[in-house]
Amino acid sequence: MNRRSFMAGTAIAAVAAAHGNLVRAAAPTPFDWTAMPPMDDRGAFIDWMVKMRGEDPTFLGQRYDLFLNTVQHRDLYDDLDKRAFLMTPREEFVLKRNLDRAYASDFLDIGYGVTISGPRLVARMTSVLQVKKGDRVLEIGTGSGFQSAYLCHLTDQVYSIEIVQPLFERTGGIFADLIARGYTEFSAVQRKNDDGYYGWPENGPFDKIIVTCGIDHVPPPLLEQLKPDGIMVIPIGPPGAQHVLKVVKTQGADGKITVARSDIYHGSVVPFVPFTKLQDGKIVGTHFN
Amino acid sequence: MSTGIPASEAPQGLRLYGAVGSLAGAVIALQIAVMRVFAVGSWSHFGSLVVSLAMLGFGMASVFIFVLRGWLDRHGEGASRAALVLFGPLAVGANLVAQLVPFNAIFLISDPMQKWRLLANFLLYLLPFLSGAFFLGIVFRQGRAHFNRLYFADLLGSGLAGLAILGALYILPPEKLLVAPLVLWAVALILWSGVARPGRVFAALLGSGATLAAYLILPAALGVPAIAVSSYKGVSYARNFPDAKRLYRDISPFGDLQIYSSSYMHFAPGLSDNAAFNVPELPANTYVGMFIDGEGPSGIMRPLPPEDAAYYQYLPMYYPYVIKTKAKVFVAQFGGGLSAMTALNAGATSVTIAESNPEVLRAFRAPELKEATGNILADPRVTVVGYDGRLFLTHTDQRYDVIDLSLADSVGLSNPGGFAITEKYAYTQQALEAYINGLAPGGVLSVTLWNKEEPPKSVLRFYATMVRAAKAMGGDWAGSLFVSESYLSTTTVLYKKGGFTADEIAALRGHTADLSFDEVYSPGFAYDPASAKGILQQYQDAIFGNAPTDGPATGATDAPGDAAAQGDGPAPGDGASADGGADAPGDGAGDGAGDGTGVVPSTTLARLVWQGLVQGGAADVTPHYVFDVQPLTDDRPYFAGYIRPADLTRTLDRLDTVQDDWGYLLLWATLGIACLAAAVLILPPMVLGGRMGRGKPALIVYFGCLGLGYITVEVGLISWFARALTNPTIAASVVLSGMLVFSGLGAWVAERIRSTGLILPALLGATALALALMTAVLPGLLEAIGALPYLARLVYCLALVAPVGFLMGFPMATAMNALAECGRDQMFVWAWGINGSFSVVGAAAVPLIAVSFGLSAVLEVAAASYALALPAYLSMLRRA
Repeated sequence: MNRRSFMAGTAIAAVAAAHGNLVRAAAPTPFDWTAMPPMDDRGAFIDWMVKMRGEDPTFLGQRYDLFLNTVQHRDLYDDLDKRAFLMTPREEFVLKRNLDRAYASDFLDIGYGVTISGPRLVARMTSVLQVKKGDRVLEIGTGSGFQSAYLCHLTDQVYSIEIVQPLFERTGGIFADLIARGYTEFSAVQRKNDDGYYGWPENGPFDKIIVTCGIDHVPPPLLEQLKPDGIMVIPIGPPGAQHVLKVVKTQGADGKITVARSDIYHGSVVPFVPFTKLQDGKIVGTHFN
Repeated sequence: MSTGIPASEAPQGLRLYGAVGSLAGAVIALQIAVMRVFAVGSWSHFGSLVVSLAMLGFGMASVFIFVLRGWLDRHGEGASRAALVLFGPLAVGANLVAQLVPFNAIFLISDPMQKWRLLANFLLYLLPFLSGAFFLGIVFRQGRAHFNRLYFADLLGSGLAGLAILGALYILPPEKLLVAPLVLWAVALILWSGVARPGRVFAALLGSGATLAAYLILPAALGVPAIAVSSYKGVSYARNFPDAKRLYRDISPFGDLQIYSSSYMHFAPGLSDNAAFNVPELPANTYVGMFIDGEGPSGIMRPLPPEDAAYYQYLPMYYPYVIKTKAKVFVAQFGGGLSAMTALNAGATSVTIAESNPEVLRAFRAPELKEATGNILADPRVTVVGYDGRLFLTHTDQRYDVIDLSLADSVGLSNPGGFAITEKYAYTQQALEAYINGLAPGGVLSVTLWNKEEPPKSVLRFYATMVRAAKAMGGDWAGSLFVSESYLSTTTVLYKKGGFTADEIAALRGHTADLSFDEVYSPGFAYDPASAKGILQQYQDAIFGNAPTDGPATGATDAPGDAAAQGDGPAPGDGASADGGADAPGDGAGDGAGDGTGVVPSTTLARLVWQGLVQGGAADVTPHYVFDVQPLTDDRPYFAGYIRPADLTRTLDRLDTVQDDWGYLLLWATLGIACLAAAVLILPPMVLGGRMGRGKPALIVYFGCLGLGYITVEVGLISWFARALTNPTIAASVVLSGMLVFSGLGAWVAERIRSTGLILPALLGATALALALMTAVLPGLLEAIGALPYLARLVYCLALVAPVGFLMGFPMATAMNALAECGRDQMFVWAWGINGSFSVVGAAAVPLIAVSFGLSAVLEVAAASYALALPAYLSMLRRA
């Protein structure tokens, strides 16, 4: 073993250890764009995922329960989005100390003043984007990498920019580890450590843009790099109290560009829904009591 | 260490009073220092919570002293010395350990660990206060025969320390501020050790010196931050930028102001999305960021080259210049200077800017920032008013074509930890009237606010305020208003003196369309309230809804497979018809709640609210909205407390939906804990001390009323005086110091009155009357002194505090003397504890009363407390 690969191996092992996931024996089979995991049976889903991806059945069970909740709350409605939700191993993207809350509905701290968004928000924002295979999607604020990973199950062209360098590097280590373990779909993510304000013009224009950092205005360069009829979503406000702004850019027959701001609930006020608590797939009350 | 020391060694006379005064001062100084630690490291309202609860240490100490009174008769001196010695090391140790267990407000609900961390912070900071309270309690008990002198020393020391810490804030940065209480503690220690005993004095010097050194050196030596700054504070993000550089820092009671530069900073508050296609890209490095106590940034922009000036037209603060050219402009709050820059670029002939924070003006004049600020204050068209804009306008004969108040502070700009409850005198009905009065004929008032809440709260409160002010101006007020919003961005309200012409309205509408903003109200704006049908109920459900019970999600009790199937039923992809659509978002459901024109619900709501406010009477929908959006007045100047008190318990399981109001909810939590603690602290002597005589209920009422009344006046007047002094920290220092010193004098004089006579009841009545009178005269007086030089305003405020402060010094001193005189010694410490516990209850209750009922009500509660103390005192005397 030469020195370089030894170092890389050590780094990957260190990252893996830090995230509480030792390299497992069963390597995931590469992501198949045509395959769908079973969605209406918990046991069948777990079995399928264990077989296909070699993931931990406990986390898979939690993921399935969360999936049911998210569907019930209508943050997920499209089958492809549902698949993306079910195929993304959230436990790989949270800090070790939060592993037991990886599938709670909450957003979690990942250091540097950054959070991994709650799964419902991720599901809702991605649902609104209506990402199709082949879409170019730009993400501003890679953070934990969970959103990028989620997008990798919807399209093969994901561009993600992170401003905080140590976070950029840490997330890079997580992706490298996952890809090495067989999650080849994550190779679709192209990342850079830079100021996301200016977008990534070399790779634009983009069909969809998702911005996950606070700002007092929508960065004009991002609006420029959005294709006509493109959609951009931006959470506004602090974690936990975020409202999501949807921006749609349209070009009229006369070539005039207009930008419309709307909410991601299609003109509806979002009713508060206590998040139901599931235990072994059964609803046993709400999240709070 | 307590045994074997002869009683004669206890300090007497001046040395005793000096030590008591110094330590009482150290306790006050520590309170303020800890508050500053929280303000800079996390969020100030959590500091208020921790400090106000730590003051329960006084109640706790009194219970311990009460229980241990026999032992303390023998070992009091040693115990008091130990408590005194421990104060400093405990303060340093608690502060250091607290930095190791910082808690993160934004995860308070979701992460169970955070509650324990908050508790740990409280318990840590309780320790020094407990030791200080022990010392004072034991000394008071030992010297009860001279209570009023000790009390005088205690109040005088606390009062002077309030002024001392105000001075210290100019020289000590927050991370070194504990030096102030430590020095006061050292003085107390040295005085207590005995000047005539060089050995002991040396030991005291050595000990306090070592403690001070530990405070300053240990953090660096142990690798612990002197203040653990939350990574979610604005300044922490700036520090993460690779090229971040701190250009400037200034500390003062106005806060810890820091300015950072970084190419990663981009400001354009409220910039229209259309700017992207109409304005050339701005040059890089156009901004620096200003942070006060780590909050921010406020963007400071360097002047743009003329070819980029179109940029300003896409900012919301440009609105008044659509119809006003060559204007004489007044900017009511300068802030980061963007409003002034916009005015200058819009061709203003003169721009007068007001800024009440001298720190900000100093920064803009600092040579090292000349390039970053473009030296805007030196522009010949700019005139600077070094105090509050509203106060200036009230007292000037100048009239302006445009008066601007734009995003002056972060009202409504979400803050991860919620907002502390502070008075916003710049946005009250009376303030808006002052601005309007400052307009020349045809002049325009332009107010821009953040509009980032969903459901909206602060903007609706502001709308209600604006309408009320406009109505008060009379004339065709409904024809003088124009309102435009940008979803999840900003809202701008214009008022034109004399009303808008049709051409002006057309121009403003055109501008609104160019910006892709939404018109919310204008004279003649066609709006059918019927289109907003059900929206109030939907917003009600947005907070208090419980969809699984009224929706189709019967899956709540079903097997998971079924739940998934049921969930699919109403999914938006299916057209959202299954359950009536209101809560069924989806691609096909475009008109779920709005008026079917693609307008977002909050804009629909805003239009409905404006329509109702303008029509008035039954058309006004604000009483039916889920949140309290009553207008701001000088008596109730708060962008806080949106949750109606009746709804409080319903928010408990959905706190994350009301995160903006956490500062307010935290006060309810503080009040709850304080009441509980007060009850617990009052109980043991009730149970244990069965033989100590009758009249306990009267005693509880009397000392409870004094505790409640005193703190209510203190905290209430701080809020009142913030209006004339424009800064809460300075108002707090002046009121605290003034009240305590004058009360000390009252306590001193109290020695000369007989506790059994009718003088004290008369004084209690006079206090109640004086407080009631203050609510009537203060508004006018504060308005009148507003434009005087700052020092004169300070002196006037002290003069206003003096009479009530003096009167309020008597009741405690006289009654404690009475207890000592009639041999009810065991009650003595208990009464002191009751007083302390009710102070904590009062401190938490004041902002709640102010937010719910107004600042006058606060003084009325205080007046009622003193009035109620009168019969309680008479009853106590009868039973003694």
